Amino acid sequence: MLRNEYTKEKRVGEGTYAVVYLGTKQSNNRKIAIKEIKTSGFKDGLDMSAIREVKYLQEMNHVNVIELVDVFMAQNNLNLVLEFLPADLEMIIKDQSILFTPADIKSWLLMTLRGVHHCHRNFILHRDLKPNNLLLGPDGQLKLADFGLARNLGSPQDLLTSNVVTRWYRAPELLFGARHYTGAIDMWSVGVIFAELMLRIPYLPGKDDVDQIDVTFRALGTPTDKDWPEISTFSAYNKIQFYPPPSRDELRKRFIAATENALYLMSGMLSLNPHKRWDSIKALTSQYFVELPEPTTPEELPKLGGK
Amino acid sequence: MSVNQFQTQIVLSRPYLTREQIKTAQKNTIPDRRSYNQRRIMVFKFLCDMCTQFKFPRRTLETAMYFYQRYHIFNKFETEICYDVATSCLFLSCKQVETMKKITEICLESLRLRGMLKISPEALDNCKKRVIQLELRILETCCFDYRINQTIHIDEILCKFGKELLLSYDLCHLAWLVAFDALKLEVLLMVPQHTIALAALRIACELSPDVTWPNVRYQLFESDESSLNEVYFDLLNFYINVFELSDLKDNLPPGFETVGVESFIQLKKSAGRERGLKEPDNLASDAYITKERDFSIRERRYVLSRKRINEENLPVKPPPAKKEKT
Repeated sequence: MLRNEYTKEKRVGEGTYAVVYLGTKQSNNRKIAIKEIKTSGFKDGLDMSAIREVKYLQEMNHVNVIELVDVFMAQNNLNLVLEFLPADLEMIIKDQSILFTPADIKSWLLMTLRGVHHCHRNFILHRDLKPNNLLLGPDGQLKLADFGLARNLGSPQDLLTSNVVTRWYRAPELLFGARHYTGAIDMWSVGVIFAELMLRIPYLPGKDDVDQIDVTFRALGTPTDKDWPEISTFSAYNKIQFYPPPSRDELRKRFIAATENALYLMSGMLSLNPHKRWDSIKALTSQYFVELPEPTTPEELPKLGGK
Repeated sequence: MSVNQFQTQIVLSRPYLTREQIKTAQKNTIPDRRSYNQRRIMVFKFLCDMCTQFKFPRRTLETAMYFYQRYHIFNKFETEICYDVATSCLFLSCKQVETMKKITEICLESLRLRGMLKISPEALDNCKKRVIQLELRILETCCFDYRINQTIHIDEILCKFGKELLLSYDLCHLAWLVAFDALKLEVLLMVPQHTIALAALRIACELSPDVTWPNVRYQLFESDESSLNEVYFDLLNFYINVFELSDLKDNLPPGFETVGVESFIQLKKSAGRERGLKEPDNLASDAYITKERDFSIRERRYVLSRKRINEENLPVKPPPAKKEKT
């Protein structure tokens, strides 16, 4: 008889398909989070989010992607053991007592982009990037989490669902109901998160799916056939209000502290046409990451409740 | 929180096994081999019909067949539940390859195909319950290893290889049909899908009168000679033994109408001695396959890398000793 390897010490949250506990891995005393997947009461068996989470996290091992430590069955429940990450970027953004420097923002964005790049080079789309899913380790490292909506890029003829990504971070092609899309949808979310880091409030907070289209294009201009040739093939396109694109000056006024390179990168990631939108490589090699200030080292980033 | 004392086990995922390993494990789970084989053919037909009905791509069928056969390496084969197992395998494979269907639809079709004319709500509910119960067991049997049946599927990779090797459309079509027959064989549990695709292409080349199999290094396709031979000979033997029952026989593409048992006998003659994967020496002592899986152990852990097991086998470091005063 052996001691059980994992202990569940504290219940810290409950989602639709799982209960999350804090615990310890006994063999090395490592703090871990255990997601106990609810298997009973589900109409369609094991939840697809749990399957996706295991499927994609098994594929990846990167400092900016949450680590799946173990998978085990206990008392006929499936448990996922994940590394323990005490905070997320949403908490930090909302904590008014914390001041962000441009170097801090650059550091968080850099880590996010590295994680996204790692997903994309493994042909994995995250499909739910938002500050709440960017977790922060005790050492300040930012890690992409919650792969419950992730999927692989698939074959070109595969039809994907457009009902993905939390509304405020949803790319325009998804708002129009696109059934074929690429990693560009994740890049859009990163662009919105970048804006949110600079503004400290959500950048495109649509009240519902229809309002999201309006909010998005009011801020960034309604795309036209000229800059996005297939746009008028989407049925929803003809019903929307036309807004002119914002001038560089208007953007400068909205993002007062941003440098020209920061605005250039943000606009690149927020290109309405997904074909023109910057991919992770272009974003990571942009001038913004070359110019001063250098990104803050993860250990020195602001933490919840002060440094 | 107090630490409970209970059993725990850690299992390393081994998604592919050799022929002898499979046979050894099946000694614990399949009492009557003939009955298992007969049912397997019927189940395959049943799964094909389900997939046709739902217009699923071939990868859904392929994954379901892998699950079905894998399940029976570590779980008892029982004729009464084999269709439920198959239904659950298909349901899970739909999730695995993103061709989702509601469980109600799957169960209704499954019961209908099994000849149930009037399906009562109770019968449907019972079917759903069994499918859900079996789902986790199937995943456990695969050690929650999602690396396989994930992005590479025989029919898709076969087309890509065919293009890379500059083989003609008709030849690839023939290989595609050969690969369909491969889904019925246990070779699915022995080698990865891309190797099966390569072997099917090689057979198709050799069946073509004026094409020779390009002398390629299998390493370029992330495969090797012995794995490829395993599939190659398995397929040849299958056609030599039961060509009449194969799907290829009724679907021979234009230009290949003359292909028959003789063609495969000829191929086998020219291929020389039958060879394939090397069987390990430790068959009798390998607990993974000789011991029946115990699903009653309370904590059953599944890992993908041996490194993790080795790490845990290391002795726990004692806390640093206090410095003695000198």
